[in-house]
Amino acid sequence: MQYKALDPLLHSQLRLAVMSLLISMESADFVYIREQTGSTAGNLSVQIEKLSTAGYISVEKTFVGKKPKTTCKITNKGVGAFESYVKNLQQYLKP
Amino acid sequence: MEEKELSPEESLDLIQDMIGRARRRFTDNSIFFLLWGWVVMLGSLTHYFLGNFTDYEMPYIGWVLTVPAFIFSMVYGARKGRQQTTRLYTDRVYGWLWVMLGVVMFTMVFYGENLNWQIVPLTMLMAAVGTVVSGAMMKFRPLQIGGACFLILGIVSFQLDESTQMLLMAVAVLIGYLIPGYMMKTKAKEHAVQSA
Repeated sequence: MQYKALDPLLHSQLRLAVMSLLISMESADFVYIREQTGSTAGNLSVQIEKLSTAGYISVEKTFVGKKPKTTCKITNKGVGAFESYVKNLQQYLKP
Repeated sequence: MEEKELSPEESLDLIQDMIGRARRRFTDNSIFFLLWGWVVMLGSLTHYFLGNFTDYEMPYIGWVLTVPAFIFSMVYGARKGRQQTTRLYTDRVYGWLWVMLGVVMFTMVFYGENLNWQIVPLTMLMAAVGTVVSGAMMKFRPLQIGGACFLILGIVSFQLDESTQMLLMAVAVLIGYLIPGYMMKTKAKEHAVQSA
């Protein structure tokens, strides 16, 4: 049996964590994602940029008062990629 | 969290952990239940006492408070929506549910004469819908029990005179809004401590 390769964009600890968080909610802001993943701001920025460039998430930058706020949402393409990733993952886990 | 090569098992564990974190998020909407609980409690008890024990011509005067409470709820709710760090799919439904119920309740007051002034029972039935559905969305049973109380007292109050309806309304908001509201506030505080 030939295993399907796992999406390299998702098969990374932090990017997979971000996508797993976003799949369950409509949107989440940068600070919340950083807190939940326990990542550094710099690393998280880089990984979010990669997911955004791939079209897996959309990123919106706004201001609440004078504070900048970055909100991330998973896109339809991202949902599809995540579902395919989980499906492909299952073939590796089957006994 | 560091970047490292994941095994399939580690990937699955990570996905489960993150989805679990998102699901454990608890929205504290207690301020709305407490605000409306006290406003309605004050309105109904004022109406009861002024109507029964005084000659005051406008026993319903206490209900005027619902107008600033409605404006406050709209402004505060919109502001909270902009500031919150996460938004669940149910948050949007929750907001629109209460906005529409509020509009319908005010419409009923406006057309009270057409409804034979059965505004209190109808308002309690509307509150039952909002409270039970909110409780289901938030997975918060005290709200659902409170909603059931609104439903039962709403049906019963159709058989009663306006004055007694006011007392039932006060009991209904105590069980339907205030007690769940304070419990929600306590739960949100505990949740915030656990998440910290």
